[in-house]
Amino acid sequence: MLKKKVRQEDINLYAKASRDFNPIHIDEEFARQTPTGGTIAHGMLVLAYVSQMMTGAFGETWLEAGQLNVRFKTPARPGDNLTISGKVKKCTEDNTCLTVVCDVLCTNEKGETVISGETVVRVNKNENRC
Amino acid sequence: MIEKSRFDFNQLSQGFEFPAESYILDESTIRDYLQATGDTSNLYQQRPLVPPLAVAALAMAALSEKITLPPGTIHVSQELAFCGLVFSGDQITCNSKVSRKVDRGGLRLMSTDIMVTNQHGKTVLTGKVGFVLPNMQKIPG
Repeated sequence: MLKKKVRQEDINLYAKASRDFNPIHIDEEFARQTPTGGTIAHGMLVLAYVSQMMTGAFGETWLEAGQLNVRFKTPARPGDNLTISGKVKKCTEDNTCLTVVCDVLCTNEKGETVISGETVVRVNKNENRC
Repeated sequence: MIEKSRFDFNQLSQGFEFPAESYILDESTIRDYLQATGDTSNLYQQRPLVPPLAVAALAMAALSEKITLPPGTIHVSQELAFCGLVFSGDQITCNSKVSRKVDRGGLRLMSTDIMVTNQHGKTVLTGKVGFVLPNMQKIPG
């Protein structure tokens, strides 16, 4: 499990690193006039937290051969306290690799789902990639 | 900055391929990315590895720089598959293609496939991005 607090300064820095300068993320005055009523974090920033949790669990194997399939449900806003969690749903094994399927979830402090979905990691049992 | 040509949503059809975009993954961009995401994993201290979501983010940037989508467009889904390690200093090329564009129940849905290769031509990431667009007769350019 991973806990993250969404901060506007991180959103601003993420905008620079990802080259996504959509004003809905970084311009408070603009964002106030939209249906979101204020700035929201990039979905990909929140998804990065999910990937970070998976990296913590599976290390380089995740970076090299991870898969994810998620849906963005609710925007994350500056000040939100997010909880990112994962639960193993299925493990299968053959001669060369172990396949681990996890349900992943990111919720805010109100219990609203920000991201939900599934990840797949294939862990090799030998030296070769699965 | 040179203004790149952008494609209006109405111009796009299933199978449309966007011009490829290349980026060099320089150290300062990756440092900013790790700071923004609060990622302190030792993996990135030990070797100049690039988080796969940083690669995905740039692929998304390449795409969003080329499409004019109407206000109210929502990024609803994301599929990603990482196909190899990416290192600081690598040059990545991002390709994207409209894989689906349909109207359903008063909403318009668009899916775009993305594929990222490195400087050796090896695919390092593939994925699919889902957008829901507000239903409008004509989208202003």
